[in-house]
Amino acid sequence: MVDPAEPPGAIPPAEAPDVVAPASAADDVLRVEHIAKRFGPVTALRDVNLHLKKGEVLGLLGDNGAGKSTLIKIISGFQKQDSGEMTLRGQPYAPKSVDDARAKGIDTVYQDLALIDELSVYHNLFLRRERVFRPVPLLNNRQMKRQARTALDEIGINIPQIDVAVARLSGGQRQAIAVARTVNGDADIILLDEPLAAMGAKEGAQILDLVARLKDEGNVSIIMILHNYVHVLQACDRVSMIQDGVIALDKPTSETSVEELTDIVVNEYRRAREEAHNEEAREAQARQGQEAG
Amino acid sequence: MASVAGGAAETPPAAPKDPEHSLRVPSRRQLLQRVVSLREGSIIVVTIVTAIYFSANTSSFFTGANFETLLPYFAPFAILAAGEVFVMILGEIDLSIGAMYLFAPILFHKLATSAGMGLVPGVIATLLVVMAVGALNGFFVAVVGINSFVTTLAMLFTFEGLALIISHGTPVPTPGGQVPLDTFGKVFGGGIYSELIWAVAIVAILQVVLTFTRWGLYTVAIGSNKLGAAEAGVQVKLVMIRNYMLCALTAGLVGIFEAVRSATVQPDPAGANEILFLAVAAGVIGGTLLTGGSGTVVGALIGALFLGILKDGLILQGVNANYLLFYTGLAVIVAMTANVYVGRARRGHTGSG
Repeated sequence: MVDPAEPPGAIPPAEAPDVVAPASAADDVLRVEHIAKRFGPVTALRDVNLHLKKGEVLGLLGDNGAGKSTLIKIISGFQKQDSGEMTLRGQPYAPKSVDDARAKGIDTVYQDLALIDELSVYHNLFLRRERVFRPVPLLNNRQMKRQARTALDEIGINIPQIDVAVARLSGGQRQAIAVARTVNGDADIILLDEPLAAMGAKEGAQILDLVARLKDEGNVSIIMILHNYVHVLQACDRVSMIQDGVIALDKPTSETSVEELTDIVVNEYRRAREEAHNEEAREAQARQGQEAG
Repeated sequence: MASVAGGAAETPPAAPKDPEHSLRVPSRRQLLQRVVSLREGSIIVVTIVTAIYFSANTSSFFTGANFETLLPYFAPFAILAAGEVFVMILGEIDLSIGAMYLFAPILFHKLATSAGMGLVPGVIATLLVVMAVGALNGFFVAVVGINSFVTTLAMLFTFEGLALIISHGTPVPTPGGQVPLDTFGKVFGGGIYSELIWAVAIVAILQVVLTFTRWGLYTVAIGSNKLGAAEAGVQVKLVMIRNYMLCALTAGLVGIFEAVRSATVQPDPAGANEILFLAVAAGVIGGTLLTGGSGTVVGALIGALFLGILKDGLILQGVNANYLLFYTGLAVIVAMTANVYVGRARRGHTGSG
């Protein structure tokens, strides 16, 4: 995949010219502008611009530690950016909490699933959206069980028993429940952080089918972190790649290919290696200089 | 895994010849399995066996008079353990309940008598102060992020110390605890059944809170997966602080009850520490995991009952007082071992993958 004819010096800058930042924001449900986030000495996001159209499925790519999950957590209200703005349906968007983001229609399936092992399937499905009696707010377990069953059937996920603890389910079933929890809410923007992790091929296909069905219904917009480029091209309308804390590529999937995506990553590796090499050389030089002085 | 239940059934497993039939009419084996599969199941069995043993071996165990003797051996611990369970399910611990137990009646005496607030306002003010200390516990653990063992150990020392300072280490008569008891004294620990009624009511309410409210659900969620609960939108810090306040409240309440019952406020940290550890033991024996994520308030009551029956029974049997602690320790190990095996059977028996 690496083009042998390419001269070794031609390493593209982090900000590739492929980035198309549309000037018009009319049809964007969500816009992320100049977002930056540091964790102590580590810069997770330098300057991220991202946009999401209504009904669109956006694939978010990037190396491990590139900042994909951080970006998702900022959009979902779990973390706060250091700088930068977000707009949701044309309005300024600064979620105060996960609950706040959810109230505004943004819900997330986290990489670690945020499932509670000790709680039942239906309690997990309704966590933070529990159905309770009035006026005494006791849990209405019967209603939650019934609605959980309906929701899972509608989504087409087969969980034989919904009153067992989720600890007893397989990795794929757990993932499916985490996705179902989000889909089941009233969210119209859904963030999926590696929804196919820990899944077999068959279970993964079910989740991709679900995404395709949601897309067909056209009510939700989805941002999905994926690692498998084939999945990206199959499931997403558009792909954005984060590299070194910025968006290095933003293209409709119809205009890109597995080869192009792979090339970008390979080039990034070479650039990073060269940089590390140069730094070592500089340090060695500095040491020599000190010894000489 | 089935051997626990299977060993007790006389007939070889009448297992699913006709699965639909066995669904409708549970066999004796299934009934037994169902009881054992309760989180409290093992300790219920162990407690009943212990009670039968003492009834058979001492003539005076199964008597009304002994029941009254037994009450103070378990009712206060049941209340203390009920609060502690809410902290233990979070995967944390509260050692400061020993200090709250000691500090509350001394503060109550100061407020009610020295400051002239009167009995009921004195109790209310005391409990508010105690809950504020609980909130402080929760703040250090949940917000500052200090380990709960260290935090509450420090608070245990601090407030037991404060109790000694403000009492000058001298016992004082409990306000409202003088014989003949008035209504206040009878309600707040002095009446024979007062603590039992409080214990049953508190345990019942807190079990409902744990099983049937969002608060209980979030408590389990935090103990099981703290980050996941936060990501789902649970206000983790708030729930943790609230649980520490509840735990301190129950401890302060028991401190006042016991002071009224004995008519004296005793500034005795050693005794308070023993009560603290017995309360934690009652929770653990009852089936609440120290690692969090799972627990039962009713279990804590039964755990306290088990410890009470054990102490009372051993005394009735004429066991030398020097042996009491030794036997208690052994019994806790035996009960916990039974708990572990029954717990494994429970998880295995419902687990279908």
